[in-house]
Amino acid sequence: MSLSSLFYNFRQGFKNIWRNRMFSMASITTMAACILLFSIFFSILINVNYIIRTLEEEVGISVLFDEGTTDERIKEIGLTIMDMEHVTDISFTSAEEAWEEFSREYFEGNEELAESFGSDNPLAYSASYTVHVDEIEFQSGVVAAIEKLENVRKVNQSASAVNTLIGFNTLVTYGSIAIIAILLVVAVFLISNTVSIGISVRRHEIAIMKYIGATDSFVRAPFIVEGFLLGAIGAAIPLVIMIFAYDKLIGFVLTRFEILATLSSSLPTAAQVFQTLIPVGLALGVGIGLFGSIITVRKHLSV
Amino acid sequence: MIDFDHVSKSYEKGQPAVNDITLHVDKGEFVFVVGESGSGKSTLIKLLLHELMPTNGQITVNDHVLSTLRHKDIPKYRREIGVVFQDFRLLNDRNVYENVAFAQHVVETPVWRIRKRVPEVLQMVGLAEKYRSLPRQLSGGEQQRVAVARAIVNKPALVLADEPTGNLDPRNSLDIMNLLQKINDNGTTVLVVTHNRELVDMFHKRVITMRRGIISSDVEEGKYHES
Repeated sequence: MSLSSLFYNFRQGFKNIWRNRMFSMASITTMAACILLFSIFFSILINVNYIIRTLEEEVGISVLFDEGTTDERIKEIGLTIMDMEHVTDISFTSAEEAWEEFSREYFEGNEELAESFGSDNPLAYSASYTVHVDEIEFQSGVVAAIEKLENVRKVNQSASAVNTLIGFNTLVTYGSIAIIAILLVVAVFLISNTVSIGISVRRHEIAIMKYIGATDSFVRAPFIVEGFLLGAIGAAIPLVIMIFAYDKLIGFVLTRFEILATLSSSLPTAAQVFQTLIPVGLALGVGIGLFGSIITVRKHLSV
Repeated sequence: MIDFDHVSKSYEKGQPAVNDITLHVDKGEFVFVVGESGSGKSTLIKLLLHELMPTNGQITVNDHVLSTLRHKDIPKYRREIGVVFQDFRLLNDRNVYENVAFAQHVVETPVWRIRKRVPEVLQMVGLAEKYRSLPRQLSGGEQQRVAVARAIVNKPALVLADEPTGNLDPRNSLDIMNLLQKINDNGTTVLVVTHNRELVDMFHKRVITMRRGIISSDVEEGKYHES
């Protein structure tokens, strides 16, 4: 199709929308509601995921050994853990380092109390490994595997908050998928309805076009353009709203779910969120618009 | 230009609308097709437009064998035919210029060529001054001239006119016939289906008379005779 024909069909697509403005408005509003909900859930999910990823980097597993375990055996245990699936990082803290760190934190300002211990190390059997895994979901599996190792006295994990977040994330994901799916079906139905009304209004014009020698694609193009525009406009409106309302939305969620604010010191910036949200939201809107119009054109417009 | 070789067209019930017609029209000819209602004239036009397919026989138009035409080639074929209807079939929400330009947009003519060609054609049909008027602001004769302009703007090899004067008074009917004559003088083949006895008799062209689906007479420089 030539450039001038493309412009012509775009103009016709706009005219179709204007001619059936009531139905067009209904389609755009439904699409906008759908994309707005998607944007809200997407923003929440991306923030929760960001917090989870941050915590995954911070939350580790502590591995302590039986009394009298030799340095060679501790090294062997370290190598075994390193070879385990999902383990990304392992660091060793000797008993001396553990006591040093503890006394520095615990006796801060009262160093003389720490000195009273002299050369005794109350944490003599507290050498440990700190182990990090790639995704927090796999932490329990790794802990179970380490606990089975010989000479391992205790394994500590502190992932309960993260697990709660994962549960929350899963709940939001499934809830949003269900709501968005219902709205998408409604949006496709409304777009299909709008396009089929456009086709019936233009029956006379389509018949003339066919007598004159219009190709199938030329006859169909304005209706496909119409679906594209309905989808694009329906997606653009909520995305613009989100750009202005994003900070307030995140502020509201952090106020309602204070645990999120305490778990992570930083959150993704609006730019980080929108660099994904805008293309995905637009693609979703345009995709639904095109899908709705194409199925309608195939059904109602035999050329 | 047009060849009908033993062409028949039957609908589900009743006798065939067109029954074993053999017909040849040369390039550049002007032909009237006359006959009473139900004689098969409209079916003839629909067959030529590839709107209907014959039940039997073969139709060839401008070297296209219509029975072998693929679906995707139908638009290309139709671009070689200009068609004028009794009820004008203009787009009422578009002005004269846009109605004629529409035919060029549809066949994807570049805009610069449309801007050159449409005024030429409007000049030819005598509507250059009224290019901004909407169809409802025009008389019946003027509306039919817009329809003729739309039919010829893409320079077709064949113009089919189905009762082009059916809704017009005698003066406007004569104007439209003169216009079709002018188009024919420029080398375009013209086939006019009509009931207008006076005009047929006035123009002394080839007259094909149809009756109950068959050609009852085919006379060079003939006259209208229904009986």
